[in-house]
Amino acid sequence: MKKNKSLIVGFILPCLLTLLIMYLYPVVRTIIMSFFQIESVTSDTSTWAFNGISNYQKIFGSPAWRVSMWNMFRIWLVGGVIVLSFALLFAVILTSGIRFKKFFRAAIYLPNVISAVALATMWIQYVYNNDYGMLNKILGAFGLNGVKWLGNDTKFWAMLFAFIFGAVGYYMLIFISGIERIPADLYEAATIDGANKVQQFGKITMPLLKGITKTNITFWSVHTTTFFLWSKMFSPVDTEVTTIVPVVYLYDTVFGGKGSSSRDAGAGAATGVILALIIVVIYFIMNRLLRDDDLEF
Amino acid sequence: MKKKFVSLFLTAVMAASLLAGCGNSGTTAPAESKPAEPAATEEAKPEAPAETTEADAAEDSAAADYSGVTLTMWSMWNSTEPQGKVIQEAADAFKEKTGATVNIEWKGRDINTIIQAALESGEKIDIFEDDYSRIAKNYKDYCYDLTDMAKAANYDAVSYACFNDVATGWAGFLPCITEQPQVGGVFYNQDIFDDCGISAPATWEEFLAACQTMVDKGYQPLALDSAYADFTFGYHLDRVIGEDAIKDLAVNGGWSENEGVAKAAQDIIDFVKAGYLADGAPDEYPSSQNKIGLTGKVAMVVCANYVAPEVNNNSGTEVNWGMFNYPEVKGGVDPSNAYAGANSLAIAKYSENAQAAFDFLIFLTSGEFDQKMADTASQIPADPSNTAPAIMSGTVEALVATKAPLSWNMGLNENSELKSSFKDIIISLYEGKYATGEDFAAAMDALY
Repeated sequence: MKKNKSLIVGFILPCLLTLLIMYLYPVVRTIIMSFFQIESVTSDTSTWAFNGISNYQKIFGSPAWRVSMWNMFRIWLVGGVIVLSFALLFAVILTSGIRFKKFFRAAIYLPNVISAVALATMWIQYVYNNDYGMLNKILGAFGLNGVKWLGNDTKFWAMLFAFIFGAVGYYMLIFISGIERIPADLYEAATIDGANKVQQFGKITMPLLKGITKTNITFWSVHTTTFFLWSKMFSPVDTEVTTIVPVVYLYDTVFGGKGSSSRDAGAGAATGVILALIIVVIYFIMNRLLRDDDLEF
Repeated sequence: MKKKFVSLFLTAVMAASLLAGCGNSGTTAPAESKPAEPAATEEAKPEAPAETTEADAAEDSAAADYSGVTLTMWSMWNSTEPQGKVIQEAADAFKEKTGATVNIEWKGRDINTIIQAALESGEKIDIFEDDYSRIAKNYKDYCYDLTDMAKAANYDAVSYACFNDVATGWAGFLPCITEQPQVGGVFYNQDIFDDCGISAPATWEEFLAACQTMVDKGYQPLALDSAYADFTFGYHLDRVIGEDAIKDLAVNGGWSENEGVAKAAQDIIDFVKAGYLADGAPDEYPSSQNKIGLTGKVAMVVCANYVAPEVNNNSGTEVNWGMFNYPEVKGGVDPSNAYAGANSLAIAKYSENAQAAFDFLIFLTSGEFDQKMADTASQIPADPSNTAPAIMSGTVEALVATKAPLSWNMGLNENSELKSSFKDIIISLYEGKYATGEDFAAAMDALY
C-alpha cells in the first residue's frame, strides 16, 4: 500500500508542480497585477503601485473596451446561435444513416484543419473583394451592383460569417459523439410507438444531448472570449472599431498598438481577469440551466 | 484504405494551409516593420552630398581588433528575409575584419512582446532591434547611452539628424542607431504623371488640379485602403491645424470648436465628391493600393515608403515610383515635415562589449552594408550619403527636409482609447457619410 502511495505521488507530482508553476502562478499574478499600476508586463514588483480598482474603472470607462465587449457579445450570441444550430443540424443529418456520411463529416470539419490565417485571407481576398470577390461576381451575374462587404457597416458581419464557416465542423463533431452515445433501441422503440423523426429529435435526442449542449456552449464561450486572430486578420494594419474584441484590446493595452508606445499592463491584467470571470459565470449559468443528471441512459 | 486516403488528404490540406499561411507575410505584417522586396535595378540620384567622414567612420569601426569578443543580437527579422540576409552578411564580414563574432537570434516582428522581459532579466543580449520610438520611450532604461561613442565616430555624418534628435529628446540621450528609415508622403506612378504632363504638386490647389487632369485623362487619382484612412486624413489635418493641435483635440476633444477640423474634413468631402478616389476606395487593405500596379490606372497613394515594394511585390509589376511630401494647405501650418519613423538598433545597458557592438552597428548602418541593405530590401539607406534605389525616389529629399518628424497618424494616436473610433469615423468620411465638415467634427466630439 505504502509503495502504491509513493508511486501515485511520483506520477502526480510532476503534473501537480507543472500545473502550479505554469497555470496557478500566472493566474494569481495576473489577478494581483490587476490591482496595481504597472507599465510593463514584466516590470519588477518594486515598481508596482497599488491603485485599488482603478484599472477596472479605467477599462469599464474605456470606449474601446465597451465596443470590444459589444462585438464579443454579438459574436457569442449571433454566432453561437448560428454555429450551434448548424452544428446540431448537420450532426443529426449525419447520424441519420445517410450515404457518404464520412465524406460529408470530413468536408464540414475541413476548415478546422486549415490555418485560420489562410482561411481569413481566402475570405478577404477571394470572397469579399470588391472587384474580383466571389460574392460580387455572383451579384454581377444577376445584374446587381456589387456590395462593399468590407465597408464600415458590413465588416463585422463579414468577419463573423467567415468565422462561423470555419467553426461549425468542430461543434458538429462533439454533437455527433453525443448523438452516437444514445442507444439505438430508444429510437426503435419510439418508431414502433409511432413517433416520427421530428418527434424523436424533440423527445429523445435533444433531452439526451443536454450535457453535450452544455459542453458546446461552454466551449463556444471560451472560443468567443479568446477571439483574436480573425479580428487581427480583418484589421491588418491597426485595430479597427468594427472588429475589435477584448483580447485585441488587451493586446493593445499591454503592448501598445501601431504608432502608440503607451502601455498599461495593469489594465491588461484587469481585462484578462474580467474575461476569465465571464467564462466562469457562463459555465455556472449553463450548469444551472442545463442539468444533465436527471436522465440516465 | 478509404480511411487512410481521407487521413492523408486531410494531412495534406493542413500542411498546405500552413504553407499558405506562412506565404507572403508582406501582405499582413504590421506596416511599421514591413519586410520589403528585392531592389529595383535603376538607382535614383543621391540627394545629400557624400560626407568625407562617412567612409572613414565605417572603415574605422572595422579596423579594431575584437578577437575573442562574442556579441549577441536579437533581430526583428527572419534569416530568410532580405534584411536578415544582409545583417548576416555584415556579421560575417565584421568577424573577418575585427575577429568579433556576432550571434544573431532571429526573433521576428513580435520582438516587441518579449524584448523588455529579456532585458529586465539581464539575458545575454548586446544588440537588439525594434521601432525607434519604442526603444527611446519604453526601453530607454535598458539602453546604453551612445552619445559619446556616436560623437567619437562622427555618427552625425552618416545619419539623419531628425531621428537622432527625436530619439535623444525622448530618452534624454542617444539610445539607438537608425537602421531602416521610413518616410511618409504621396507615392505616385511617375508614368501617369508624365502622361498627364503634371509634376509633383506642392499645394492642395495644385494637387486638386493634378487630380482633375488625371481624371480627364481617364486615370483614377488616389488609392485608399481603409487601414490607412486615418494616416491619410491625419496628414491633411496636420497641414491645416498642425500635429500639436491634433494631439490636444485627440486627448481633450473640442473638434467642433476648431474651425480647421471642419475645413479639413470639408476638403476631403469635396475631394471624394469630385471622384478623385480610386474605384472601390476606401477598400480593404491592400486591394486599393495594389491597383496602382495591377491596373496601371491608379496614380497615387498616401502611405510610408514601404508601400512601393509592397505594391510591386503584390502586383508583380515594376511601377515607376515617385514621391512628394503631402501638399501645403493654404492658411495652414508648416508643410515641410513628413511622417518619419525607423527601425533602429540599440545596445543593452549591461553589455560588456558596448564599443564592439557600437562599431558593428556603424558597420551595418553606413557605407557598404547600408547600401546593400537599401538595394536588397528596397528601402531608404540609413546613411544619407548612400544612394536610394530608384523605387525610393524622392524619399531621401523628404527625410532631409524633415526637421521634426510627424508621428504615425499625426497625433490621432495620442488617445489610445479612442484611436480606433477616430479611424472608424474617418473611414466613414471617405465613404461619403458626412454631408459637411461640421458633421464630421460633431461625430468626433460625440466620442467624448
